[in-house]
Amino acid sequence: MSREDDDNLSALIRRHATRHAAPDSLRAGIRTHMALEEARRMPSAPAADEPLQRRGWFSFGWGTASAGFALGMLCMALLTLLAQRVGLGQPIAAELVASHVRALQLGPIAEVLSSDRHTVKPWFQGRLDFAPPVLDLAVDGFALAGGRVEHVRGNAVATLAYAHNRHVIDLFVWPSTEQQTPVRSLQRGFNVVHWADGSMQYWAVSDMDGAELESFVRAWQQRAKAG
Amino acid sequence: MTGRRTFEARVLPHLDAAYNLARWLLRDGSAAEDAVQEASLRALRYIDSLRGDDARAWLLGIVRNTCFTVLERQRNGPEQLDFDEAQFDAALEAAGLGAPDPAVLLEQRKLRALLDAAIRALSPPLREVIVLREFEELEYAEIARIVAVPVGTVMSRLSRAREKMRSVLSQSNLGRPI
Repeated sequence: MSREDDDNLSALIRRHATRHAAPDSLRAGIRTHMALEEARRMPSAPAADEPLQRRGWFSFGWGTASAGFALGMLCMALLTLLAQRVGLGQPIAAELVASHVRALQLGPIAEVLSSDRHTVKPWFQGRLDFAPPVLDLAVDGFALAGGRVEHVRGNAVATLAYAHNRHVIDLFVWPSTEQQTPVRSLQRGFNVVHWADGSMQYWAVSDMDGAELESFVRAWQQRAKAG
Repeated sequence: MTGRRTFEARVLPHLDAAYNLARWLLRDGSAAEDAVQEASLRALRYIDSLRGDDARAWLLGIVRNTCFTVLERQRNGPEQLDFDEAQFDAALEAAGLGAPDPAVLLEQRKLRALLDAAIRALSPPLREVIVLREFEELEYAEIARIVAVPVGTVMSRLSRAREKMRSVLSQSNLGRPI
């Protein structure tokens, strides 16, 4: 067969045959495993029964700290203003789904990478003005991958990442005095389960099956109750 | 940490190419996802062996090895690794392209269906050289490295694959030189 025939066939294939693009679930799956792999390779995390955790204090002077604080307050005020303007009318679940997607696409899923809650919980110290509960649900099939801080409507929100099979669950946590039994909703194909326990409000976001996400929530509530 | 950064910067951009290859080799979306995920983890683990090599070819090599392991595992199933002439025709027939209705289907869509079916019907060793050459536009030498066969073998497989695809196209009125 001539060179020309080959070129014609090549052109046909390139122009018309199906080129399959990697689905988002694959990207998410790889990121989850990367996070888990890294957590596993981290230098010996403190054992579960170790009484005191390493403290995440930074060694800077109070001058720097207060300047930083002032700057932070200014940013917060601006962000709140902006968020009120931009976020009005958009349900909070939609914003959380957007945060979840952004973290999966651009990373990081976790700013602190660890499957050990005694590493993740202290990491939030000094980054948040509340102490979010951090639970290890590995026994229930939901491995803790780490945590990060997200900003939702001007508030710093604790975000815990869990891995289940090839799915990532983001659990957004911030204070609330309300009581709310879990409610599931669907946002752009992502399942969102919201509940509140009188101390914190929780928003679990994932592309996993709705029933599976609810089983994650049940596991969380049971562990939380057990203390 | 640097390993992960290298992986993100150099390997992850080729995820579409990796998935496309796996999807064509395994002919199934979720099997391809599993294979690429497995291959990616392997790539991340052995990221140090990448060095100055072309990251896309390097990743595709890992992906094709993973896929062929999967195919070998399925060997008792309908998938065969050998070059069976009769199988090509049977697979094409199974794709149900016998009597396409020209009045209903757009020419382009028909052409796509026909080309896709022809690629799918190729045996995996022929299919992989077609994907690597036509979709990824890799050089013969690169393909030879990925597949781990001599360049001459790549060329002969490619010409067999093209011959088969041309025979399918010539049976239809589609795909005449444009």
